[in-house]
Amino acid sequence: MSKLGVFDVSVRYGKVPALTDVSLQIEEGERVFISGPNGAGKSSLLKAICGAVPTTHGRIEIGGMLVAGRPPEAIARLGMTMVPEGRDIFGTLTVEENLRVGTGIRRDRDAIESDIDEIYENFPILGERRQANAGALSGGQQQMLAIGRGLMTNPKVMMVDEPSLGLAPNIVDQVYETLIRLQKDRGLTLVIVEQSSARAARVGGRMVLLRGGTVVDEGDAAEFAERDLLKEAYFGQSAEEPA
Amino acid sequence: MNAIPQLFFDAMSLGGIYAMAALGIALIFGVMNLVNFAHGEYIAFCVFALIVPSTDAVAVLFLGKAPALLLIPILLALGAAIAVASEFVVFRHMRKATPVAMMISSFALGFVIQNSLLLIYGSRPKAISLWPDLNKPVSVIGASVPLLQIIVILATLVVVVALALLLKKTKIGLEMRAAAENFTMARLLGVRANVVITGAFALSGALAAAVAMIMVTQTGVADIRMGGQIMLVAFIATVIGGLGSLPGAVAAGFLIGAASVILQAFLPLDARPFRDAFLYTFVIVILLVRPQGLFAAHSAKPRV
Ligand SMILES: Nc1ncnc2c1ncn2[C@@H]1O[C@H](COP(=O)(O)OP(=O)(O)OP(=O)(O)O)[C@@H](O)[C@H]1O
Ligand SMILES: [Mg+2]
Repeated sequence: MSKLGVFDVSVRYGKVPALTDVSLQIEEGERVFISGPNGAGKSSLLKAICGAVPTTHGRIEIGGMLVAGRPPEAIARLGMTMVPEGRDIFGTLTVEENLRVGTGIRRDRDAIESDIDEIYENFPILGERRQANAGALSGGQQQMLAIGRGLMTNPKVMMVDEPSLGLAPNIVDQVYETLIRLQKDRGLTLVIVEQSSARAARVGGRMVLLRGGTVVDEGDAAEFAERDLLKEAYFGQSAEEPA
Repeated sequence: MNAIPQLFFDAMSLGGIYAMAALGIALIFGVMNLVNFAHGEYIAFCVFALIVPSTDAVAVLFLGKAPALLLIPILLALGAAIAVASEFVVFRHMRKATPVAMMISSFALGFVIQNSLLLIYGSRPKAISLWPDLNKPVSVIGASVPLLQIIVILATLVVVVALALLLKKTKIGLEMRAAAENFTMARLLGVRANVVITGAFALSGALAAAVAMIMVTQTGVADIRMGGQIMLVAFIATVIGGLGSLPGAVAAGFLIGAASVILQAFLPLDARPFRDAFLYTFVIVILLVRPQGLFAAHSAKPRV
């Protein structure tokens, strides 16, 4: 069971509130996009779920287990992994070492080597450069490595924060294709921060819209895309004005 | 006598001690951004653990009486133990504190250890004879060097290679390197903060014990101040090396060792008392040219 439940969660940085009473239910195997303008609290929501920032209010459950207050390394053991904004690759480690950092929590030791091979099949460039310093990879390659590194923890839920950030559109397509294939193969629950409703609609899934630290709308990504398209037609290029 | 090989052995053995002490500091800085000024007192603690507690001027060996094969692992474990204990008692409660607050606590901890030793052993330096046979000269490529120098150089090599293997080949080593680069990310991947930090302190303490054994054998004294003196040089080495960089710490340790031996040999007699002033000028010049240190930590920024 890896149902994800967020109930009335608040996060603040000192006096700055980033999330206020956010609630959200995500089913096992679902694909959910978190969208919203800059500073809406998307990253803070992901960080709160995986324990990287403390919550000031509310509770978070993964598969019925209460996680708020647990350290990130304990939450990772519940099958939660995050691919952060900016990827946070270990630049001084080799590509393969990056993939191995998260394998310490796995009980199925035998499957580690075959999983690494599988990642090299999905991302051949990582296989070619397995002994290279990860800091020398391009942005797209680092994004693939960050996803592969998260997968190596053998997660049930994978959260990816803005996978498209700073990448060329064709690379973004490639990243999404792989994410969807991996989700199908492994029955992963996917939570993806994506600012573009058009892209989310193309990939397909539910969309949750955050603004000013609260959930303001929720529904099928396709509906959001249509609405944004209309807004664009009426008001010019910017579909989503800053909060 | 051949002066050049002699200088070489002097430089390498002094550099080796500095390198080991600097490694002890760089390891801790790497995982928790703490410059642990108590490190020198770990060394002093290990030195005094060799002798019977008393304030007499001549030390009676206590742990130091044990055969080397027993003494070495015991003292390494003792060094590891005091370092781990200090993490548990002091630094664990300061994980969220600023680096400056942690550094000040490490000074305070150092004073506590130092004053406890003063209370038990008194302040006078004591003559102590651990493994005196090692100071007998042997003849190597035309130079007559104490056996200890050879052992120090070999020991440094063994320590550096062992540490490199541990960091490169083991699971905890990989976790320590990942945590040193980005602690939060490592934890998000399930790396246990407590395991990594305890491991780093244990290694650091064991290095302090190794330095203690070498210094005692070499100098033949147990002096409460010896920890502070080497701590200063080791700290400078970690800064020159690039704070947190382990290869940097080793390289800079050897560099400072070599520089001080060379200055000692070649400065005019009148200037020799001011050797350290020249040495630190050299340090300042390096830092002016490369403020980030010789081996600044790599950047994880993508090169798009
Ligand atoms: N470490 C921090 N310290 C202080 N304030 C922060 C910190 N991180 C985020 N904030 C603030 O919290 C709010 C939410 O930030 P968050 O990063 O969660 O937004 P976001 O939706 O991910 O934005 P973006 O699209 O820019 O990534 C913003 O007002 C931001 O300035
Ligand atoms: Mg963000």
